[in-house]
Amino acid sequence: MGFKKMKLDTSGFETSMPTIGFGSSNDMLDGFSTVPSFDLPRTTDFDGFQKEAVQMVKPAKGTTTLAFIFKEGVMVAADSRASMGGYISSQSVKKIIEINPYMLGTMAGGAADCQFWHRNLGIKCRLHELANKRRISVSGASKLLANMLYSYRGMGLSVGTMIAGWDETGPGLYYVDNEGGRLKGDRFSVGSGSPYAYGVLDSGYKFDMSVEEASELARRSIYHATFRDGASGGVASVYHVGPNGWKKLSGDDVGELHYHYYPVETATAEQVMEEAAAE
Amino acid sequence: MSIFEYNGSAVVAMVGKNCFAIASDRRLGVQLQTIATDFQRISKIHDHLFIGLSGVATDVQTLYQRLVFRHKLYQLREERDMKPETFACLVSAILYEKRFGPYLCQPVIAGLGEDDKPFICTMDSIGAKELAKDFVVSGTASESLYGACEAMYKPDLEADELFETISQALLSSVDRDCLSGWGGHVYVVTPNEIKERILKGRMD
Repeated sequence: MGFKKMKLDTSGFETSMPTIGFGSSNDMLDGFSTVPSFDLPRTTDFDGFQKEAVQMVKPAKGTTTLAFIFKEGVMVAADSRASMGGYISSQSVKKIIEINPYMLGTMAGGAADCQFWHRNLGIKCRLHELANKRRISVSGASKLLANMLYSYRGMGLSVGTMIAGWDETGPGLYYVDNEGGRLKGDRFSVGSGSPYAYGVLDSGYKFDMSVEEASELARRSIYHATFRDGASGGVASVYHVGPNGWKKLSGDDVGELHYHYYPVETATAEQVMEEAAAE
Repeated sequence: MSIFEYNGSAVVAMVGKNCFAIASDRRLGVQLQTIATDFQRISKIHDHLFIGLSGVATDVQTLYQRLVFRHKLYQLREERDMKPETFACLVSAILYEKRFGPYLCQPVIAGLGEDDKPFICTMDSIGAKELAKDFVVSGTASESLYGACEAMYKPDLEADELFETISQALLSSVDRDCLSGWGGHVYVVTPNEIKERILKGRMD
């Protein structure tokens, strides 16, 4: 079975780089300066095959991630469960991806898609830094990712991510998805558990919170989402992005968090003794 | 997701030394959303006979009500309790009556028969009986339950050890299933007493 190579034309999206040394085919940079190309299988029914492949990845976005901007920066939190339909395939997935020391990305949707494209984004950000001698802005990084995903629109990628970081203009938060959508905002939650997280997040949110209050709000929102949503669970990780970069604040097992928030009251023995006396 | 995965459930029964244990999870959900964490899936038919039903929650409740009704009539006519083997045949017949529009549940029946010999069996949704000497499982977490029971089960366990074994098997299995869990409910039945316990499990 043979394969045909397909290269997507993204000349409109390439960053402006000096041509010296880049004109010749340089193996190390070739794959990164343009959009990665993928082999396509030669089948009789390519569209049908694509549809099936899309459906295979479909039971996705079973997760809860959230991020919000407040006085002291950006708070990012996520659960750690990976589910395939009803089966829990892992309770310890890293859904907060460290793109570089001052920018975080969250993962919702297909794990492979999110991991690959965030890593690719990290590479592009580093190249930008080297080429322009300054860090890329959160706005720029999210735009790079959004443009990349737009060029793969309709091909079945499943990515619902938030890019959070701190640049020269202060804290930045963008939502980017596989449709190529990119939204700037102050509060986002993505995934099947997001309605439950929004309920807690929106009612407890104040711009003037301290880091401790904000991290507790984020943790509680993730906990409530894991309680109600079957596809979310595991460990609630909370990260804070400040002017000096991101820092992981906590990673609490939500099974234990439940009994921390709602301790079990042991039944009193007196009730049993009363019944015996009445006989 | 299939209709059997609509509400989510996990039921398991195990045989011990002159005793049996039957356990279930406590979640009631609508696909991925959790609605309740105290749903009764195991019901008592008489002091030495319990039935646990997994599957669609409305059929679980209706089928239980129908079975209690039939057993009460039997008690009035025969002036005694039904034997577990007889009850299993009754459940099988009631399920097969609806062969072309079935109750969407899979029962697990556990009881103490003659000479207090423990009896367990499970059925599919149209009444195919499956008797076992060691353990039976049912529900969305059934594959995990099979593995856990196979690994943890030992024959002739006393009531307390049986309780530990069935609880560990249930909790470790539902921790691998998105649709069941949120606590556990265990009944351990010996000829003289019924011990009902609620398990503290992961609530995610």
